[in-house]
Amino acid sequence: GGIFNLCNPRHFTIGIWPPSTESNPTLEDPTPDYMNLLGMIFSMCGLMLKLKWCAWIAVYCSFISFANSRSSEDTKQMMSSFMLSISAVVMSYLQNPQPMSPPW
Amino acid sequence: MCCEPLRALHFFSPVQVSIMQRPRLLLIPILLLLLAFPGSKGRYNDDFDDGEDLAEFDDNDFAEFEDMNEDLTAEKESAPPPRVSSAQPEEDEDEDEATVELEDGQDGFEDSDTQVPAHLQNSWESYYMEILMVTGLLAYIMNYIIGKNKNSRLAQAWFNSHKELLESNFALVGDDGTSKEAVSTGKLNQENEHIYNLWCSGRVCCEGMLIQLKFLKRQDLLNVLARMMRPACDQVQVKVTLNDEDMDTFVFAVGTKKAMARMQKEMQDLSEFCGDKPKSGAKYGLPDSLAILSEMGEVTDGVMDNKMVHYITTQAEKIESIHFSDQFSGPKVMQEEGQPLKLPETKKTLLFTFNVPGMGNTSPKDMDSLLPLMNMVIYSIDKVKKLRLNREGKQKADRNRARVEENFLKQTHAQRQEAAQTRREEKKRAEKERIMNEEDPERQRRLEEAAQRREQKKMEKKQMKMKQIKVKAM
Repeated sequence: GGIFNLCNPRHFTIGIWPPSTESNPTLEDPTPDYMNLLGMIFSMCGLMLKLKWCAWIAVYCSFISFANSRSSEDTKQMMSSFMLSISAVVMSYLQNPQPMSPPW
Repeated sequence: MCCEPLRALHFFSPVQVSIMQRPRLLLIPILLLLLAFPGSKGRYNDDFDDGEDLAEFDDNDFAEFEDMNEDLTAEKESAPPPRVSSAQPEEDEDEDEATVELEDGQDGFEDSDTQVPAHLQNSWESYYMEILMVTGLLAYIMNYIIGKNKNSRLAQAWFNSHKELLESNFALVGDDGTSKEAVSTGKLNQENEHIYNLWCSGRVCCEGMLIQLKFLKRQDLLNVLARMMRPACDQVQVKVTLNDEDMDTFVFAVGTKKAMARMQKEMQDLSEFCGDKPKSGAKYGLPDSLAILSEMGEVTDGVMDNKMVHYITTQAEKIESIHFSDQFSGPKVMQEEGQPLKLPETKKTLLFTFNVPGMGNTSPKDMDSLLPLMNMVIYSIDKVKKLRLNREGKQKADRNRARVEENFLKQTHAQRQEAAQTRREEKKRAEKERIMNEEDPERQRRLEEAAQRREQKKMEKKQMKMKQIKVKAM
């Protein structure tokens, strides 16, 4: 179109990304960090208070944190959170093999 | 024979044994007792069969043992049935048999009146909560995979339909930010399972353009369920950063009424420069759903030319907001108390937010309908380059910016003074401490004198400055 020819495409500069004024991604979506923290808290509760439902919720929190995580985030953190929650579930069942009773 | 049950327990660690096997450990002494008595019965029987010592035993002895045996069985009955249900076959079988096995169909002491409590049954049915949990996790994983793939397909579809337009307008399409040199990757950069970025640069009239495909979190089941209550749509956000000479000084925004109200509160520049409430765009032929925030009328007249109005009117349902600003610094940042505020860094920016049609139920085909919007973006870049305010408008704009800066400085003046004062006090205190800590009295005196001299000099300098200002004022 005519409008595009007004600006000569030969005289330009190329800038690389990200530019200096890039906002902190943590500020935009804190979900993975919260879920990570919640997962760890529930794991500890499940392990120390021997509550099976705590351990199961911890597993869910780890999964949710993983699903919402950014690609720049450390996989080691994710894996350790997973391992902690799964170990909480396993330990709860080793200590008390009886099935979990529903809250109602 | 009696050692074999104990031997079996050696496979477990003592702790595990104590925790897992506590109810069952009580079985062992009972079992041993039960084992002993059939054996002893046999022994006595043998002796009896020998015949020689028959005279020592009379019926009373057997009766004694029989009674004891009956007592034992009574004891067994009173013990919880499941424990004994495994012991029962033990009694009936050979005493050498050490392993505890429950025969098929053996109910032990279970009858129609007593029910085995659920938590003591060892059938899979009693673990229904666990099965539910695992099913939930599997559902989450399935949703993760499906959602991730859907988002990926949508992103690819968008890129395929826009690739040609972008490559014809920009020299660099796609940069993942890892290399120091600008190398065109020619593909999207995935930040998340739901956010894809594309950096385009190398065009006159702008520094660069960052396109963010902000899809819904289809990979997170919680989010999917939340969206069933509150529908939302995918968004495409385009941020064009301009060089200083590419744009004149003005602030302008147009978009849905809701978006305009929100942005006026949240955005630093819109709240400072566009103080009036969002106006209806009907004057320019825009649909009623859209509102305008502008620094001055001349800016609106300049931006809303026929072609722009045409673009906006035809794509009205897809436009969330369009924001042109030379004072763009993002949303308002909450500063902590006591921290001296710095004037936020501003950048000349054009910010477009588009809604993808479909309200969440988007298909890859819908991405083609966003192409006219990208045409509008390119047109806007060129338009803004040409748009120049007249003399009056420029003066007004300059006055606005000076006013904002002054307000800012006034607000922070008190804070900055306080900060400077505390810094000075801190310095003095540190110096005094140093002097006090100096052990040599001679050196102490000398340092004190030096400090005093420095203070005097400062006072003299201040006095000179005040005198100069007075002279200038006169």
